[in-house]
Amino acid sequence: MRRLLSLYAVALLCAGGPRAWAEAPDSPLFSRHVVAVFSKLGCNAGTCHGAVQGKGGLRLSLFGAQPLADHAALVREHGGRRIDLLEVDRSLLLLKATAKVPHGGGKRTSAGSLEYDILRNWIAATAPADDIEKSRLTKLEVTPREQEAKSGASYPLKVQATFADGTSEDVTPLATFSSLDAGVASVDAAGQVAAQGVGDAAIIVRFRAEPVMSQVIVAREGSPSVAAPEPQNFIDEHILAKLRRLNIPPSELADDATFLRRARLDVTGQLPTPDEVRKFLADADPQKRTKKIDQLLSEPGYAALWTLKFCDLLNASDFGVYADGLAEHFEAPRFQAWIRARLAENTPYDELAARILTATSRDGRSLEDWAKEVVALQEGYTSPRTDLEIYARRQTLDAYWQRKEAVGVHGALQIAHSFLGLRLECAQCHRHPHDVWQQDDLLSFANFFMGVRTVGFQGENEKRYPEEHALFKQYEGEGKKLTEEAKQLKEGKGKELAEKAKTARDEANRLKNEIRRDEEKPETQAAAAEKRTQLASLEQTIAEHDAVQKEIREKEQRGRMLSDDVPKRILHAQILHRLRDDKSKRQASVTSPLGTQSSDKFRLLGESQPLEMAEGEDPRRKVIEWLRRPDNPLFARAIVNRVWAHYFGRGIVDPPDDLSPYNPATHPEMLDELCQRFIDNRYDLLWLHRTILTSRTYQQTSIASAESEMDRANYAFFYPRRLPAEVLLDALDQATLTREDLDMQYYHWPKGMRTVEVPYLPRNNFIVFMLEQFGRPPRNSSAQCDCARQVDSSLLQVLSFANHPRVREKIADPGGRVAQLIKENQDAPERIRELYLATLGRVPDDAELAACQQYVGEAASPEEGLRGVLWSLLNTKEFVLQH
Amino acid sequence: MNLGCNSFRQHHRRDFLRIGGASLCGVSLLEMLRARSQAAGAAAPKAKQMIVCWMAGGPPHTDMFDMKPDSPSDYRGEFKPIASKLPGLDVCELLPKLAELADKYTIIRSITTMNNPGDHARAPMYWLTGNPRLPSGTAEYPMYGSAAAKFKPGPAELPTFAVLGKIDHHINNSIAGSFLGPAFNPFIFDPNEKKDDIAKMLSPQMELPAFTKQADLLKALDSRLRRQDGVDPLIAGLDAYQQTAFDMLRSPKLREAVDLSKEDEKTIARYKDKHLDKYRYPSGDPLHFLMARRLIEAGVPIVHFSLGYWDWHGENFVAVRQQFPMFDSGLSALLTDLEERGLLDTTIVLALGEMGRKPKCGTEKNAGRDHWDYAQFVLAAGGGFKRGCIVGATDKLGEQVTDNFYKVESFGRTLYHLLGIDPDTQVQTLSSRPIKLIAEDAPLVKEALA
Repeated sequence: MRRLLSLYAVALLCAGGPRAWAEAPDSPLFSRHVVAVFSKLGCNAGTCHGAVQGKGGLRLSLFGAQPLADHAALVREHGGRRIDLLEVDRSLLLLKATAKVPHGGGKRTSAGSLEYDILRNWIAATAPADDIEKSRLTKLEVTPREQEAKSGASYPLKVQATFADGTSEDVTPLATFSSLDAGVASVDAAGQVAAQGVGDAAIIVRFRAEPVMSQVIVAREGSPSVAAPEPQNFIDEHILAKLRRLNIPPSELADDATFLRRARLDVTGQLPTPDEVRKFLADADPQKRTKKIDQLLSEPGYAALWTLKFCDLLNASDFGVYADGLAEHFEAPRFQAWIRARLAENTPYDELAARILTATSRDGRSLEDWAKEVVALQEGYTSPRTDLEIYARRQTLDAYWQRKEAVGVHGALQIAHSFLGLRLECAQCHRHPHDVWQQDDLLSFANFFMGVRTVGFQGENEKRYPEEHALFKQYEGEGKKLTEEAKQLKEGKGKELAEKAKTARDEANRLKNEIRRDEEKPETQAAAAEKRTQLASLEQTIAEHDAVQKEIREKEQRGRMLSDDVPKRILHAQILHRLRDDKSKRQASVTSPLGTQSSDKFRLLGESQPLEMAEGEDPRRKVIEWLRRPDNPLFARAIVNRVWAHYFGRGIVDPPDDLSPYNPATHPEMLDELCQRFIDNRYDLLWLHRTILTSRTYQQTSIASAESEMDRANYAFFYPRRLPAEVLLDALDQATLTREDLDMQYYHWPKGMRTVEVPYLPRNNFIVFMLEQFGRPPRNSSAQCDCARQVDSSLLQVLSFANHPRVREKIADPGGRVAQLIKENQDAPERIRELYLATLGRVPDDAELAACQQYVGEAASPEEGLRGVLWSLLNTKEFVLQH
Repeated sequence: MNLGCNSFRQHHRRDFLRIGGASLCGVSLLEMLRARSQAAGAAAPKAKQMIVCWMAGGPPHTDMFDMKPDSPSDYRGEFKPIASKLPGLDVCELLPKLAELADKYTIIRSITTMNNPGDHARAPMYWLTGNPRLPSGTAEYPMYGSAAAKFKPGPAELPTFAVLGKIDHHINNSIAGSFLGPAFNPFIFDPNEKKDDIAKMLSPQMELPAFTKQADLLKALDSRLRRQDGVDPLIAGLDAYQQTAFDMLRSPKLREAVDLSKEDEKTIARYKDKHLDKYRYPSGDPLHFLMARRLIEAGVPIVHFSLGYWDWHGENFVAVRQQFPMFDSGLSALLTDLEERGLLDTTIVLALGEMGRKPKCGTEKNAGRDHWDYAQFVLAAGGGFKRGCIVGATDKLGEQVTDNFYKVESFGRTLYHLLGIDPDTQVQTLSSRPIKLIAEDAPLVKEALA
């Protein structure tokens, strides 16, 4: 009966008013209707005639952006054969569209269809051009904007367009429709929505190039399940409310062991130790989870893990152009050290952004003071690297601007991506097809960063920066002097001593042997004593030689540094903001196959009015002011959403770097509230982490129920995800109680560095192979995308964990986990329990214990057996996944 | 009614995982069915497999398959042409075995990058993907084998795309990854290298019964998240990959394919004929020809290897004398063996580099040939390429293409066409831009097609 009623309701909806345009208008307008037909049929898409070179000889503007050009192409080119005014139906345009003559794009429509008739009627009316301005779209609306529907139900969308001349038309038949989640609701070409599965989905409607959005919500059928759990904070209130609306029951809280492993991995990138698990399980304090969260957030692992995230996001190892004195092995670890210091002291996020985005090399100091810092940094490139501490103390991160492609339009793209959660690459060449951005938005935003000096050798730098050039000369002179001194020393005293030392060494060796012999007999003791005196004098000669050699080496090294790296950095790599001395040269501009575009305005993204810039002002400060405005729509959202995505494997807006109005949030009110409170808490990142971690939503089990298993975006349970490459490798080290030698002593990397701390790819082949297989991002400008870190799984990943010789070696390591257990633990089941704690962070159940014991019992030796158990545990999904 | 951009974001991330994970090599059942039904409709593709012998650096075309004996002495070099089995094709006197087989392959003389781009960093990326891929700043277009792994995967217990040694001498393996995702990256290994961990990884590190026993224990222990199996695409995907991985390890196919001890000494000698102990330039491993043949026999769809370095700026003719006979033996042994086994008709065999060499080389004793990317050669046999054919021509000095010029895009499209992969297949870059497997439209090299 209920079903019948709902069908009836749907029928009523369908009958809601006559559909516009049962027939095509008699005199369709080219820019309003015909171009819309091209969009609808896909003719002007980038892979068809909208391509830069067109297709099959016909080129249309991408998405119909330039109707006039399109009109000319159709009417004038190709000897006018595309349009036949006398025999309309013989027009190539119609014959191609219906594939009556061979068409690379196949059959797009058929004679008698509405689209066909619009094209035909337009040709019949002599294929006129029309006044484009009159048909400029001023408003596009879709109804219903939001609809609750039952699974299986169906309803139509209606699309109304208002044009600049004040007219309004129902353009439903010329719109295209697509669903962002076809599993929840699909939509057909006519705009009929069909609810499929439980959840909510956005339907994107497009007329010409304009998008507009409609939402559909499909609740689970069946009676509401048991009483809803208590929310632990406001996050849970939003999540539970939405689940209630969808009639999906939330999962239980995860058990303590699962919570501990999950939180420790997510916050510090480490596995809990067996002791930590035991202690946590035994703790009876009802507040123990919250206390654990606070403890984890105060550990160095937190800063290390988020340094990795930020360095990914900021492409922190893309250094070194010709003769700027910069290099990955100097800069990448410094960049990292600076970020890590800020995270460790929990610098408010807005301040962090400001100190990155407005960075200058001098940090407000004199040139001489900064130059001293440059020298100190280069001197500190030694074991251990003392430069890292010096760099971390800097006020601003000039290394951000010293990276390749950090300035200009490409720099603006990166800033939009990293700090605003936007991907604007499309807008470099044309209007962004899935977002609101135009080319001019990007270019006007890029102008804020055009004045930042680009690092690298420029001949004109000598003239442009005379003070720096003077310093360049001074340091170069000092360096050369040292090099010369070293040379003199080497050829003079060094050479002289080298000969002496050589004879002295031979002599000393001979004496040492004699002394040993002499000392054995009482009668030669006196001779021995005398020889010892001689020996001492020889050793002094040798020491003198060594000291001179050391002095030579140091002079050479310092000479090289002062004559090369230091002056180059001072002259060619200082980050500063240049005044707009040559206006035309400093304009943001892009040249693409579609033409050259430029802007001379300073306009912030989403703002309609350009800003005036005072003479001598660094426009980057205006950007920071705008980011810090409480009503900034993107700045807080981008970071809040990314932190959320870190903990849940998907953003509230997902993908997290697509904060487009056409990519709706699953929980918009929650996102707003999180952002607002984050701002109210002075952009306190630790507050944000703590708030998310203490929610029951984060602490739910990953086990779904039959009623919730279809959920993908509403957090009815905790979604499992693969551990990131670096975390997984560290977990492998921890579980096997081994540590990979990264083989980077030559570059002064400290011993025992964890993989999450790696600033760039090390020389250890196993680590490099695994990092690449498990999707470490390249940290360069090839892809400015959160997806540069690959999260999916592959055959090679599974195979390498199961069968890489190095993994096997780690399991069998003589100082490793199994060896230690054999030595320290005599109880067979206890050994297996320890292996479980060390890998999965929990104790085995009876069946698991029995299976392991049987395996160990049948093995050739207890070692063999335990290695097999450890191998198995490392290859379980429970180990590889966060769950 | 599928519009270029309309498929944008139709799935959310976890659906992508499902597509990436639910089946053996990252192709969902749906995609596979679609691919099959397409294949059923269209004419069956000629090529099932492909071997790419990559001659990194740029082999000297005017010393090999495009000789110009009538050009001045500072051009023509030290060697004389000999007639081949194909009337009209004269090849270098140091390639006698390939001359005998000239009725089996096509020589294309009219595809070049036209110096755009023209260096060892960028030109290989263009040739090996058929797209304007650069070291950074462009979309990461896939290599042909990666596209095959996605759209035409081979048997489950074998890798679809195997690289022996490395992809290229100069850029190494930096184009292994693509926007198709890591699941479609090549398996890069070298079974001839004793220390190669990846090669070792392809067979179990212990006796098979012990391995099976371990795998059984793993199965027994790996049940905690099992309640999610049917539900979660990530977990189902991992299970499927693990199954495939273990099948691969248990299957003797791959292990035996890379085990050259299964070949008799005469065969190995044929492939290694004229192989020297020392070369002026890195020579590559002629046994990769043999290994490639064995992998093709086992059923691996795409095999690629980099045969040494052909960037002979100095002592070109010294290098020719050393390297041609080795190349001649290896490639002719491969072509002969494939033919004998009836595999040549369904296997494309390519030998090419990223450019040609400068025809003008001077007359000094140790003359070299510098870069030249306005003319080069491609040797293409089998899998639907014509038997005994010359496509295109260069001028009398061998400097410029005079006939049937084709862009690299045409070459890429021709390979996909023969492999039964539609080069217009729409894929997405990491920035969600819809593009085609070969982005630019270009005609097939139809003169080369059988």
